[in-house]
Amino acid sequence: MASGQPDRRAVRGDTGPDEASVLGASESLALIDDQREQVRRRVDVNPAILFTIWAVAWGIGFGTAYLAYGPDRVIPAWLGPTVPAVLIALGVLGSIGYSMTVGRGVSGPARTAGAMYGWSWTLGFLCLAVVNTAIIRRGLASDDATLLWSASALLLVGVLYLAGGAIWSDRVQYGLGVWTLLCATGAVLAGVPGNFLVLAFAGGGGFLGLALYYGVLNPPARRR
Amino acid sequence: MTIDQIPGLDPVIHAQARLRVTATLAALGADDLITFPRLRQLLDVTAGNLSTHLRKLEDAGYVEITKTHSMRTPVTLIALTTHGRAAFDRYTEALRSLLNP
Repeated sequence: MASGQPDRRAVRGDTGPDEASVLGASESLALIDDQREQVRRRVDVNPAILFTIWAVAWGIGFGTAYLAYGPDRVIPAWLGPTVPAVLIALGVLGSIGYSMTVGRGVSGPARTAGAMYGWSWTLGFLCLAVVNTAIIRRGLASDDATLLWSASALLLVGVLYLAGGAIWSDRVQYGLGVWTLLCATGAVLAGVPGNFLVLAFAGGGGFLGLALYYGVLNPPARRR
Repeated sequence: MTIDQIPGLDPVIHAQARLRVTATLAALGADDLITFPRLRQLLDVTAGNLSTHLRKLEDAGYVEITKTHSMRTPVTLIALTTHGRAAFDRYTEALRSLLNP
């Protein structure tokens, strides 16, 4: 330093080019809020985005299955199984891609827990697909296969909501888990093709409800 | 009186560049670690600039820098220490009380 007074440096702070720049109190608070918002937007997983992906996949997917079912169908029958399968596959890829992109470079116990929870969805659905396909191959009537799928998928979603609610002490998510389990039962009792409507509205609607809950209300559970 | 002379404002934190670094680290979870490149990307500063400020925060005991390896590639992980988080909270509190005495 030109002054040759090392002690002064310690008191005044360093005198590098951007050392000199010090903000007023309100500017400093605004900067802190701005950085916090940046981190929230760029580093934290926004559950509203994930739930929107799933609301679209279930709502449109199973809505299509309903419209493509039976002799009175309004759209070609092949769309019935294809559209939900494609949308759910895209939903899995989209959720994993989004979560890995925002979370890159950041690690910690809470993030590990979040990632493990995220993978529970993927592992659960992959396993469910294998189990259901194997059972159906053993000779299950087409309508029974449909009922098996709708009830088991809703059951898995419901249990994962219960787990999510428990991890983040989020009563809304836990309550939705209970509702989804009731819908799983309802889907079986509704029979075919009413079960598709239960899946589209109760399942898709549940995801949409959570998307709105997190997107609009931004509950404190998100901020830790 | 400029803010520079106000007592109670931590000089390690209140330089604008280090305030940005500290505020970003404080916005992460309590036990979160962030890699050097990701922090640099979030702050949009040069590597040299970030290193300089991190070293000062580390000297004050506010930041912990861990060098490790992931698949033979060196990785630098940065986290706010408990001490650093407390200092940041005190600093924010001091700013608030300046505005609403």
